[in-house]
Amino acid sequence: MKDLISKIRAKFGAEVLRKEENQFWIKVSRENLLNVCLFIKDNSFEFFSSLSAVDILEKNIIELIYHIWSKEKKIGLNIKTEIDRETPKINSVSKIYNSSQIHEREIHELFGVIFLGNPDLSELFLEDWPGPPPFLKSFDWRNYIREKFYSKGNKKEKGYFDNR
Amino acid sequence: MNKDKKEYQEFLFGPAHPGSGNFSVRIKLTGEMVIEAKSDPGYLHRGFEKLMEYRDIWQNAVLSDRICVFEPLAWNLIFAEAVEKLTDIEVSKKAKYIRVILVELSRIQSHLIWFGALSSATGFDTGLKIAFGYRDYILDLFSALTGGRIYPAGYICPGGLRRELPQNIEGRILKVLGKIEQAISYFEEEDPIFGVRTKGIGILKLEDAIRLGATGPVLRASGLKDDVRKSEPYEIYQEIDFNLPVLKNGDAYSRFKVGLLEMKESIKIIKQLLNKIPSGDFLNKKLKVGTTFNLPDKEIYLRNEIARGEGAVYIKGNSGPNPERVKIKGPSFLHLIPVLEFLLKGAEVADIPVIYWSLNPCPADMDR
Repeated sequence: MKDLISKIRAKFGAEVLRKEENQFWIKVSRENLLNVCLFIKDNSFEFFSSLSAVDILEKNIIELIYHIWSKEKKIGLNIKTEIDRETPKINSVSKIYNSSQIHEREIHELFGVIFLGNPDLSELFLEDWPGPPPFLKSFDWRNYIREKFYSKGNKKEKGYFDNR
Repeated sequence: MNKDKKEYQEFLFGPAHPGSGNFSVRIKLTGEMVIEAKSDPGYLHRGFEKLMEYRDIWQNAVLSDRICVFEPLAWNLIFAEAVEKLTDIEVSKKAKYIRVILVELSRIQSHLIWFGALSSATGFDTGLKIAFGYRDYILDLFSALTGGRIYPAGYICPGGLRRELPQNIEGRILKVLGKIEQAISYFEEEDPIFGVRTKGIGILKLEDAIRLGATGPVLRASGLKDDVRKSEPYEIYQEIDFNLPVLKNGDAYSRFKVGLLEMKESIKIIKQLLNKIPSGDFLNKKLKVGTTFNLPDKEIYLRNEIARGEGAVYIKGNSGPNPERVKIKGPSFLHLIPVLEFLLKGAEVADIPVIYWSLNPCPADMDR
């Protein structure tokens, strides 16, 4: 396994963040993501477990974490990559891992990340949602609800505007 | 029939259909055959991942019940384990034993719901009544152990458990297991009509199962021996002797059969542990339920094998009491969208409920 990690490091300039029990955490650039995925898929990492996104306001980035497993080696690889918050675009890995398509569709809806090459990025959970991507840190849902559904003039609803 | 001369008819399976739960599939038909199916989730989207960013650990432990209605204890355990690993909290051996017993009981009752719904989908309503009737024995146990029949309110919490076991519960659990064995013997009676309705229906080949991200009983019914409990043992699964039932056909009948064999294995696991529960604390002494603590600025991805497949959470802390981000991966998210869409294509109308329920779905853990 260490061979594979050092190969990824040498070939694609990946940064090894840490190892815990049977999981490796590595960081690659967004340009190299597809190549790394192709490479590890040939090395028995064929199960796509999940895709997480973290919105980091201070650094102005969205961090994507691909959780991929090898059932043969019983090892997990968590691949991190960063994309810009203003233009959140990245190549889709759905051609390599088919099941990632639905994860990408979810992240697209909740974080507004555009996955180039994903065949279907239509709405998933939120039907006819007019607002911004709701899981971004910049989206204040309390404020959104206050403005959309409550009015200051209404006696019963005034309390919602008091504390903040 | 086709007034506007369309070549196909379009209709919705669910969300009000009695067999579909809070979930619907848009189906296009020509004659009796489904030509396209598109899952339409979102009826249960409660935004837990976002909500958890505004709640502290103890509130989130209770919230984690609600991720899946059918097996709240399993999600309790995943969340508790993740927090323990993040903050290096130790759990006593006693708590681990009780946790595994509870999770396996939860697996059995979840499978009973599955079989009840599956037999209802094949037009055999008595099966539904039998399964739900026997499930109630386990719910009574949960009520005695955790205080809640369905929702344990965070009984399995970071650091161990919320309460001590009631006295002489072992005998009661054994009695209930006897009842469940009786229920299994009912399900083992091969009904020819059930066989006709499920054999050769909804075949999922192994390469498709892996490609579409199937896990758990669905994957094992397609022929891959894979289980997180075996491959990366958590709690005390490495000390327990149990088998993984695997079948090759990948049809609805194999999935049902795998579930049935799994229930027997769960009974075996519980019987092994019952007499050996060690003495010790049920909750880590350094912790007090309700007293919040800060999560370190670290992240973790943790997987467990729950009744429907692989459940996982990603948690990132930010040195504060609330997590920075929580991602929940439910197995039904993949079973109900890519796998179901794939299996329904080319199926007959009458087989839609059978295929749907053979996947052991839970719309709640898909929508979150």
